[in-house]
Amino acid sequence: MIQEHTGATDYRRAHACHECDLLQHIPPLKSGDVARCQRCGALLKRLHHNSLDRSLALAVTGLILFLVANLFPLISLKALGIAQHGTLVSATLALFDAEMPLLGLLMLFTTLLFPLFSLLGTIYVLSVIRLGHITPNIAPLFRFLRSTDAWGMLEIFLLALIVAAVKLVDITEVIMGISLYAFVLLIMTLTTLSLTLNPDDVWDKLRAQRQ
Amino acid sequence: MTTARKAGLISCHVCHSLNRYPSTFPTASKRPQQMTCYVCGSVIHSRIPNSLSKTWALTLAALILYIPANTLPIMTVVMWGDGHPDNIWSGVMTLLHADMWPLALLVFIASIFIPIAKLLTLLGLLISIHFKSRWRPRERTQLYRLTEFIGRWSMIDIFVIGILVALVQFGNAASVTPGMGALSFAAVVVLTMIAAHSFDPRLIWDVLEEPIHGQ
Repeated sequence: MIQEHTGATDYRRAHACHECDLLQHIPPLKSGDVARCQRCGALLKRLHHNSLDRSLALAVTGLILFLVANLFPLISLKALGIAQHGTLVSATLALFDAEMPLLGLLMLFTTLLFPLFSLLGTIYVLSVIRLGHITPNIAPLFRFLRSTDAWGMLEIFLLALIVAAVKLVDITEVIMGISLYAFVLLIMTLTTLSLTLNPDDVWDKLRAQRQ
Repeated sequence: MTTARKAGLISCHVCHSLNRYPSTFPTASKRPQQMTCYVCGSVIHSRIPNSLSKTWALTLAALILYIPANTLPIMTVVMWGDGHPDNIWSGVMTLLHADMWPLALLVFIASIFIPIAKLLTLLGLLISIHFKSRWRPRERTQLYRLTEFIGRWSMIDIFVIGILVALVQFGNAASVTPGMGALSFAAVVVLTMIAAHSFDPRLIWDVLEEPIHGQ
């Protein structure tokens, strides 16, 4: 499929593998196609039909679900006539209260700030590209979003919620909160978003503008 | 086989655009580290600068912190004034004894297997590059890719502690406090994530372009 690159004449159309630096040409892809590096097998490029519009829709959905997930408790405990409600932010606050500010900060960034900023930033970048007049702040913003992508860890938080619930269910009464449904939907939306959003499509728009 | 570096090109680490390495490089005024990508504006370099030193330092730091992460309690559960410290291993055993083996397996993989595998993989990759190994570059690159992808899942135990600390606050009857083990473990996860990020897998392949010694 992928031919080896010879000569550096049209280097802006060539592709260098980001994992082994091999220079190669990617043939035109059809929607759903994936191009892999012929030497190390790294993912070079994928093509999705209408990836940016679908990503924008998913990001807006995600933002709404994120807000709902933060409004009400995710999980509640009932013991000794007292009910304890746990929201997304309460884990962060509890770690600060327990004099573990570093853990609190880590929690704050990975479960609140990065996911929120990522959704807002994605919506902004994709809307600006949709409207067609690309402003100079798009490149640094999208660059920041890509480099902090691994630090938003809501899906890990969902698994942790399940583990915590199972640990507690023997000791006290565990009640699922209203926001848990929104939270599960949020994780599904974010996963779909990360599979749909093809960063190459955004860079291609910026590249076209610079050339 | 031509690499971008041989062709006088630099591939941007963020947007993967190819930038031409200027042939008449004004070395005095502008060092290579300060070149920026023409598409996304990020600082570009043919290989991550000081990648090996950075990765060694971060991996060794993580290795050292791995000891308190496993010996100090990650949290203490106090019930009716009776404190019960938990470390990572006892957390897995508690789930196992409660007949929750799927979850015990999940926590075992996330909190014990992945951190060890990740530290060993990073050390192995660093040593293989140090000795200019030509052994299975493709498989080593795949191992790196897996390590970079999977590392963040170790955070699960930290989040469980956060949730338990927030929920189990019933005064004298029951409370959970986080321990220093949790902080050390979180540091191990964060340090190995940054270590994997600062490692440049292209170094695995660079040695293949050098002539074999003694031939």
